[in-house]
Amino acid sequence: MKTLLDIKELTVSGEKTIVHPVSLQVRTREPCTILGETGCGKSLLAQAVMGVLPSELRAQGRIFLGERDLLGLIPKQRRAIWGRELAILPQEPWLALDPTMRVLPQVKEGYMVAGAVSGASAGRLAQATLSGLGLTDAAGKLPSELSGGMAQRVAFAAASVGGAGILLADEPTKGLDAQRWQDIVDLLLQKVADGIGLLTITHDIGVARRLGGHVAIMCEGRIVEQGPAARVLQNPVHPYSKRLLAADPASWEKLGGRASNGVSPVIKAHSLGITRGGKQLFKHQNFSIAPGEIVGVTGPSGCGKSTFGDLLLGLLQPDTGTVWRDGSHPPLRYQKLYQDPPAAFPRSITIGQAVEDLIRLHALQPGIRDTLMDELRLQPELLDRLPEQISGGELQRFALLRVLLLDPIFLFADEPTSRLDLITQQEMMNLLVRCARERQCAILLVSHHADLIGKVADRLLFLGEEAISRDAAFSACHQTSPREHPVYGA
Amino acid sequence: MNQATIGYRVFQAFLVAFLVGLGTFIMVRVLPGDLAYRIAAGRYGYDLVDSVAAEAVRLELGLDGSPILAFLSWFWDLIRFDLGYSLVTGELVRDAIFHELGHSVDLAATALILSLFIGPPLGLLAGFRPGSIIDRLVLASSVVFRSIPHFAIGLVLIMIFSIQAGLLPVAGHGHPLSRVLPALTLALGLAAVSSRIARDAMIKVRESDYYLFGRTKGLSESQVFFRHGLRNVSVPIITYLGMQFVYLIEGVVVVETLFAWPGIGHSLVHAIVARDIPMIQGTAFVMGLMFVFLNALVDFLNRLVDPRERVV
Amino acid sequence: MKKQGTGNSKAVSVYRTRMIGSGLLFFLIAFGMVGPFLVSGDPGRQNLSAILSTPGKEYLLGTDHLGRDMLLRLTAAIRVSVAIALITTATASLIGVSLGILAATRGGLAERCTSLLADTFLALPGLLLVLLLVAIAPGSFWPLYLGIAMILWVEQFRMTRALVQPLATSPAVQATRLLGFGPWYVFRRHFWPELQANVLTLSAFGAATAILSVAALGFISVGIRPPTPELGQMMIELLPYYQEAPLIFLQPILILFLLVLSLNLIAGGKIR
Repeated sequence: MKTLLDIKELTVSGEKTIVHPVSLQVRTREPCTILGETGCGKSLLAQAVMGVLPSELRAQGRIFLGERDLLGLIPKQRRAIWGRELAILPQEPWLALDPTMRVLPQVKEGYMVAGAVSGASAGRLAQATLSGLGLTDAAGKLPSELSGGMAQRVAFAAASVGGAGILLADEPTKGLDAQRWQDIVDLLLQKVADGIGLLTITHDIGVARRLGGHVAIMCEGRIVEQGPAARVLQNPVHPYSKRLLAADPASWEKLGGRASNGVSPVIKAHSLGITRGGKQLFKHQNFSIAPGEIVGVTGPSGCGKSTFGDLLLGLLQPDTGTVWRDGSHPPLRYQKLYQDPPAAFPRSITIGQAVEDLIRLHALQPGIRDTLMDELRLQPELLDRLPEQISGGELQRFALLRVLLLDPIFLFADEPTSRLDLITQQEMMNLLVRCARERQCAILLVSHHADLIGKVADRLLFLGEEAISRDAAFSACHQTSPREHPVYGA
Repeated sequence: MNQATIGYRVFQAFLVAFLVGLGTFIMVRVLPGDLAYRIAAGRYGYDLVDSVAAEAVRLELGLDGSPILAFLSWFWDLIRFDLGYSLVTGELVRDAIFHELGHSVDLAATALILSLFIGPPLGLLAGFRPGSIIDRLVLASSVVFRSIPHFAIGLVLIMIFSIQAGLLPVAGHGHPLSRVLPALTLALGLAAVSSRIARDAMIKVRESDYYLFGRTKGLSESQVFFRHGLRNVSVPIITYLGMQFVYLIEGVVVVETLFAWPGIGHSLVHAIVARDIPMIQGTAFVMGLMFVFLNALVDFLNRLVDPRERVV
Repeated sequence: MKKQGTGNSKAVSVYRTRMIGSGLLFFLIAFGMVGPFLVSGDPGRQNLSAILSTPGKEYLLGTDHLGRDMLLRLTAAIRVSVAIALITTATASLIGVSLGILAATRGGLAERCTSLLADTFLALPGLLLVLLLVAIAPGSFWPLYLGIAMILWVEQFRMTRALVQPLATSPAVQATRLLGFGPWYVFRRHFWPELQANVLTLSAFGAATAILSVAALGFISVGIRPPTPELGQMMIELLPYYQEAPLIFLQPILILFLLVLSLNLIAGGKIR
């Protein structure tokens, strides 16, 4: 194995140091992956290697590309390396593609950079590259006409055709569904097999696992542990690595799976059906949920998981069927948690103000707030901040606090942790489960994450085309009672 | 341009006809009753007018019938371009406007082209070096020129050029150079806006992810600019041209009056002062249509530069 | 890749620009208000023995071609412009924001009707619309007020509709409704905080448009009628004397420029 890129004691600093001395090597046939949570400095590391740090930050240390120290080069020399020796796969492929230029020329220009290729043959090569990625039809399209997965592959093609020997991939799987996730990771592995050096930045343990090779775990600007993937991911040594890997839903202990206790349901649905955007999402869907029960809803993206919850809450009206609620509870006790915590709060007032408004509106005991804040481990000083000034995990806990003030009997949690980091996600899910059990609150949990929902839910509801077969399969391996059986094609 | 945008512009043209028709119709209704007599006089000359002719006109205008029917027939005349005769000169309004429109288009086009040579290049220059002295100068002069109304720019230009230096003709129309001052007056106001748009767009594009990606793909700075910068910067500049036409058309009214330029705006103001209703209607209508046409032209240019589908 | 830095310094410079603009406007309005107390007299009183006199002891800012006191005329003209700008902008903001919220939250027929109305007023350049109205009854106040308010409400309406529409269907508003809050709370906590900066900006632009329109109409002699002094009308009256008395001639131009400049600065130096 040859060392392609040798990072020695690299630091990134602005007013204070953000990335502490990091040493790392990228070798042939050994993918190198930096794993870390939001804000740990991993993207800055990639930007420092590439030489595209924001102007107020600077990098120090050494980065050897062959014999040359990149940090010793003048900007013009560094630019000469871009695309030809060092390429970066950008984090947001949709934003990284020129919105007004069709796909083919955006890939083609990479060939022209490498030089010695005429316009016509660059065009042919680009077309061939796109076809090789299953994007034959995309050549004449604009970025806005591409799906997320297609945009990622186009960006991949555009970044890698310059013939660079080293590829930096910054969060290559961000926002992709399971199939596209697999495609892009396979593409990266293909590059490694071709002898290209690969440095991947990711928050996704699955990516690190599948790429294998060398893994470095990063936390608060430092690499806390690095080594062969098999060793680091199986038997982490550093306490942070242990916590991070244990937070992967695949490693959780089972929280749900409790059998229903036969208490009368808080909400029931009979034969629900709805069409949105001309597509029949589901029909003849029956459902019921008892106090303290956690029902997980899964299905492929676009199958109407969120719509189903909104129907139960009365936020949408069904085309067919009825929703029944236990009339002894006021409507206020049916509540919802949202996917994107900052989007669920008024932007311009402090969290304390929002909570205060709620307490005043319903004339609640002011003391409840402090009890709940203790319970959810929220610091009082957070009350003075605006929603954008606190972390997603804290904000989601405030969202939980807000609904708990109303003592909910039914809570629809719509992907409540999909925007959170792993460790925060685990904490949030534990809180949700506790809230269901201790307060006898029924929870309808929507998640696209199969591992997570499998661990948390007492039983599952599948929506979408494969509903019946998947449903049956799940029944077979989890002996949960009583089941909802969606009936199709009546 | 797709069908929806064309459809919208046609609809807009009808709205122009409706508004102008309604305005002038109300004018006819609220004005003192000798209007029919004046229209007849305008048409046949004062000597030849008698009560019979006035009565004929009265019937023609539907001044004694139901207002709604009268308005509909008024509107119908308008969209057939049957604009009647000037009350002042007795000339066919259509002919008079046709003649004046040429002068106005001459002035407006000169101003627009001039502004495009001043505004966007300065804006791009500033946008390349945000915070630099050039940038500050461009920003400051943009605010200053946006704050001086066109007629005041015109007045100051007249003061500077014609009197002090005697270089350029101040008013009128005849000398090939006589269009320079009125056109420059309008162009400075237009450039004040387009320079700012170009500057902001250039900064935004240069900070964009796709611009950075273009660089890291290995393109040189000038390659990135010509392949990914220029077109993306042009889109807002062209879109804003649509808004600027408001300024241009308003400017034509005032600047033509100031420089005694024999165009349609000058004629509109004269018509208002003289209460020459057919002329007011005709000039306002044609200026409104010009506005719609220019906007359609912007749609077309946008389509040419920006391949994305857009909905109005 | 997050972008850092520039945002904050930009906000500071916009704030500073706004403060300078507000100061300038305050000074101009104060000048307009205080004028009559500095010198007593009638802005229409002619003194044919002192025409086009240069600024000096007797007449602080000189006199015009009819020997009228420029200080009195300018301050009166400022009051006229500012008053018209104020009432037209207030009317337009109230109507525009209300209809915008109506269109964004109700949708359906309400939205189609209000949008058609807005499109109608956008079909003609604003000044043309005002001219048409003014032509119906030249020289009177109502067509001027109506015409200007009619062209100004459209921008407030479109801005409000565009900002409120995504908010109205946002999780934040949905959550607020689920928690039991009413529409007034939604307006106060969700819509208005997002709107207020834009309403202010558009109002500043609107006031500038109003002042410019009044001046343009005065300039082409179809606006506010003499003897009420008005900036545009003063300019065109003084035009023949620009060689003789440039200092007098430039005064109304300078005042108009400063008024509009202050409003553009209050709008943060932005492009509308």
